[in-house]
Amino acid sequence: MKYEVLLAGKTRVVELLRADDEWIIFLDGKELEASVAEVAPNTFSVLLNGESHQIRIAPRADGTLTLHTALAEYYAEVTDPRVWRGRRHGALEAEGRQQITAPMPGKIVRVLVTEGDAVETGQGLLVVEAMKMQNEIRSPKSGKVEKLFAKEGLAVNAGDVLAWVE
Amino acid sequence: MFRKILIANRGEIAVRILRACRELGIPTAAVFSEADRGSLHVRLADEAYPIGPAPSRESYLRIDKIMNVAKRAACDAIHPGYGFLAENSALPRACAEAGITFIGPSAEAMETLGAKTAGRQLARRAEVPTVPGTNDPIEDPQQAQELARSMGYPVLLKAVAGGGGKGMRLVAKDAEFTAGFRDASSEALNAFGNASVYLEKYLEKPRHIEIQILADTHGRVVSLGERECSVQRRHQKVIEEAPSPIMTPELRKRMGDAAVRLARAGGYTNAGTVEFLVDAHYDFYFLEVNTRLQVEHPVTEQVTGLDLVKLQIAIAAGHRLPFAWETITPRGHAMEVRLYAEDPENNFFPSPGKILSQHQPSGPGIRVDEGVYEGWTVPMDYDPLLSKLIAWGNSREETIARLRRALEEYSITGIKTNTTLFRRILAEPDFLKAEIHTNWLDELLQRPHPAAHDDSNGADAAAVAAAIWQATHNGNSPASSNAAPESEWKREGRRRQLERLP
Repeated sequence: MKYEVLLAGKTRVVELLRADDEWIIFLDGKELEASVAEVAPNTFSVLLNGESHQIRIAPRADGTLTLHTALAEYYAEVTDPRVWRGRRHGALEAEGRQQITAPMPGKIVRVLVTEGDAVETGQGLLVVEAMKMQNEIRSPKSGKVEKLFAKEGLAVNAGDVLAWVE
Repeated sequence: MFRKILIANRGEIAVRILRACRELGIPTAAVFSEADRGSLHVRLADEAYPIGPAPSRESYLRIDKIMNVAKRAACDAIHPGYGFLAENSALPRACAEAGITFIGPSAEAMETLGAKTAGRQLARRAEVPTVPGTNDPIEDPQQAQELARSMGYPVLLKAVAGGGGKGMRLVAKDAEFTAGFRDASSEALNAFGNASVYLEKYLEKPRHIEIQILADTHGRVVSLGERECSVQRRHQKVIEEAPSPIMTPELRKRMGDAAVRLARAGGYTNAGTVEFLVDAHYDFYFLEVNTRLQVEHPVTEQVTGLDLVKLQIAIAAGHRLPFAWETITPRGHAMEVRLYAEDPENNFFPSPGKILSQHQPSGPGIRVDEGVYEGWTVPMDYDPLLSKLIAWGNSREETIARLRRALEEYSITGIKTNTTLFRRILAEPDFLKAEIHTNWLDELLQRPHPAAHDDSNGADAAAVAAAIWQATHNGNSPASSNAAPESEWKREGRRRQLERLP
């Protein structure tokens, strides 16, 4: 099995072969002296050249992964090149229409634009209140507010689409 | 002692209080909003009662509902924790009317010492130094300039009606006073419709140092020493420690005496904190009194060996403080970090949501005061404090090393937490040298994040783990573990099927 792992801005190729109960692992074409055990659900003990790492994995709603090491936190996007219906195509789309989603569950307390408005990159579109804090959601690009789904007073969940900027 | 104590709070502090009650053998009654049915404090309490919808003004801030629960559950004391109703004198008043003991100061002492202006007036009468300046609007600019000269520059001109830095001018020297006064006044007029400004001495790089006091109902008031809370983000404390690295026995005595004087003058009882700013010349200035238990009380507990919550309960029950505590000195060093559900990489956005996994640190010198558990969903309705991690050791160095070690062990997945912020602070040379002040962290966050520590091996291990996770957890359908919610049609169909069964 071969996977492409996009992590910390780099694409790594991880190839996995199953031998008895162990994995034989190639990272970017080089065989690793490694031992990997899932010691608890979503918790991996990884021995790399004798160095012990503990990795805790949390799957995210969009299919990507959050990985916690002792020192850092990473996002990873794993694709199987054979399947190749990767979400990488999504990145191309991002050039055009931008979907503005709620970064956290909360309540929309103010809408700062109306449909059809021209907006600049970084301009505030709306304000979401969560945990007593008001957070301005800004436009990721300059363009036009094509569609506005958000209404003042509306409760939203993380990932809910609030607006389109074209 | 009390028959049963109602805890009028939630989260980690409710858990902290009910742990103390459990140790004292006093049954507890918790209260909870609709968002908190599954909260840790509800699970751990002896009894728990609903008090309404998620918004706190309809639940945790409703004195009538809390008093109803207290009567219904036959509680004879109420502990308010911190936040919510803790500094609302209407609660001790309602308690007094109902014949229930409020674990805290009297309503009168709360009003006298808790309100900013009243507290400052009392401080002056008790000869506790306050930040020099005028409290009243400046009528005569020339007179104000003379005052500025006598206090020494720099000085701050602040809008009386102000806030948010508007109508505020820093005047560095005498020649700039007239222009500064004019600018501050016109800005204040534009922003608030009121041109009045007042004058205050500007403290350069002040440190926030506060004194923990205890006062019993028999007239004994003691100081349990200081905590330094200079590491703040937008005036919110982020790291607290005791003792303060700049403290000397002589300064501790002077600050402690001032705090005790103020508490006596205000007729204060129970636990309280007197906050001061300390400037580069080790001169201290009164800031305000917190008439309650504080978030950072554990650092004082670790260096004094006392349990402040149990002492609050004992004082409220009329017990006397021992004479020997008038000369208590701290042992070792303690430091606390506040873990929040927020994203330090993204403007400190709050990050409520479900905690997928939690692993807490342990081992020598580590204490965790937590309010959450694995599998719980952090609600969006309240303060995002998840838990407090406290380390103590023989020296400040050992304490910092333990805190760093504990942060490496601590893992919470599923939501964002501010642990990366602490990793950064605890490695900053200024912090290690204790060269900190109340603006230090805000200034640090303005600077670009230095290239993070080398974790390239960790990144390799993470990449491998990610691939194996994918291969073993239905790897070919990445979103399978978070499949879209089931169709309502399907659910309806199944419901009808079930109804057809005999």
